[in-house]
Amino acid sequence: MDEHDLRLDGNALAGMLTEVFDFEMTVERGGCAGCGAVNQLGAMLVYAHGMGAVACCPGCGQHLLRIARGEGRWWLDLRGLAWLQLDERARMAG
Amino acid sequence: MGRLSWRLAEVAEVRNETPRVVSITLEVPGWDGHLAGQHVDVRLTAEDGYQAERAYSIASTPDGERVELTVERLEDGEVSPYLAGELRKGDQLELRGPVGGYFVWEPDRGGPLLLVAGGSGVVPLMAMLRRRAAAGSQVPARLLYSSRTLEDVIYREELDRLAGAADGLTVTHVLTRAQPPGWTGYARRIDAVMLEEVGWRPGERPLGYVCGPTRLVEVVAGHLVALGHDPARVRTERFGPTGVP
Repeated sequence: MDEHDLRLDGNALAGMLTEVFDFEMTVERGGCAGCGAVNQLGAMLVYAHGMGAVACCPGCGQHLLRIARGEGRWWLDLRGLAWLQLDERARMAG
Repeated sequence: MGRLSWRLAEVAEVRNETPRVVSITLEVPGWDGHLAGQHVDVRLTAEDGYQAERAYSIASTPDGERVELTVERLEDGEVSPYLAGELRKGDQLELRGPVGGYFVWEPDRGGPLLLVAGGSGVVPLMAMLRRRAAAGSQVPARLLYSSRTLEDVIYREELDRLAGAADGLTVTHVLTRAQPPGWTGYARRIDAVMLEEVGWRPGERPLGYVCGPTRLVEVVAGHLVALGHDPARVRTERFGPTGVP
């Protein structure tokens, strides 16, 4: 087993992202600041661990999003995303 | 606030699917339905407060407050040995969901459908096939499903029944480790030739859903794109380093 076996999809972050965002983030689109590829966040490649996760561009591997939690705080690093589009239709109902 | 919160579900039934796989029917008060392919996060808390969370695909179609999960027991897992071993009717579980909108299919999305599963990766695809059947959908669908042995095939009888309905679904089994006497089906790992024989031609513009252990998913998705399928129509759900059928 190598690190590739540990790779997941952006879809695996759906639950965690609902703790931070009010949207079903896996269907939202973002642009990679590295290669410009546009993908739904569910298509990101994800490496998850107990504290959080790193999500990468499926095109070039650039880190798009890093998320971690600890001691009652969430940490988000979104610098790999040139932009992020949030569609009102994907707002969580409730 | 629309954000999802953790809630308590009660186990209504635990059913053995294979020697390593169980289906768990949960009663979830206030459950408001879900889409085929969505999952829930399950959280277990130990006596010392340590918590472990895992995502499990929903296997069932919407049915009031009942939600069914199908879980494979991973011997070195933190959560699955409890769910697929110790959990009993009447026990309570903490869960959050439904979540995920990417690896989802509903009849109005059309097809034709190419579903490729490895092992327990069949679970969200089964939710799609159950949804398709419940809706009376005629969307043509092909399931290519890789298991180690015949005994490891999850939902075997139900898949036979669904495929026998002659409503446009075909099911092709792949047995990678051992085959029963007289087996005439595929007996090797899924490869490009198999995908060409079983799948749709790229010009038919199928919607592809590939789910299973990470390595299988990446091999299959790579073959599909190399065969000329539109990457934007091939959706993947990697389960990580679980058993490799």
